[in-house]
Amino acid sequence: MASLVGQKAPAFKLDACLKGEFKQVSLEDYKGKWLVVAFYPLDFTFV
Amino acid sequence: MIGVSIDSKFSHKAWMESPRAKGGIGGLTIPLLADLNKTMSRDYGVLLEGPGIALRGTFFIDGDGVVQAEAVNNTAIGRDGDDILRTLLAAQESKKGVVCPMNWKKGRDAINPKEAAKYFEKNAK
Repeated sequence: MASLVGQKAPAFKLDACLKGEFKQVSLEDYKGKWLVVAFYPLDFTFV
Repeated sequence: MIGVSIDSKFSHKAWMESPRAKGGIGGLTIPLLADLNKTMSRDYGVLLEGPGIALRGTFFIDGDGVVQAEAVNNTAIGRDGDDILRTLLAAQESKKGVVCPMNWKKGRDAINPKEAAKYFEKNAK
């Protein structure tokens, strides 16, 4: 898989949970800000 | 910072409400995204197509939406918070037109490419 470094991050808009509330989160929400995206395999496994 | 897995938002909620002593992540203050159709994991190149789950990929995206750094660990290799912070700070510093050398930490000199000789004179051991 080619690196994404230097390329536009793929856009996304997904359902999310934050502090017990459901909301949608998109890449657009972070325009003008730094964002760290952390993928992980599954909930309830060891992070 | 945001977390992403292929679990549903309901699973995320349950996990976020489980105490840490029970394997939960109670008190987490970042959103967890539900990549149920696995499109985002695939788009970022971290989806394991066989088991259908994502590797531990970390992506540092600047304010213009450009990826400035990435790191991908196999599923059994957890990340290091200090390392993530260091990469983020170095990526931010690099936006000032400087180069963050090996072992750079926040507060240390970065290299101005136009005056690299000055850096080496000052920092060479």
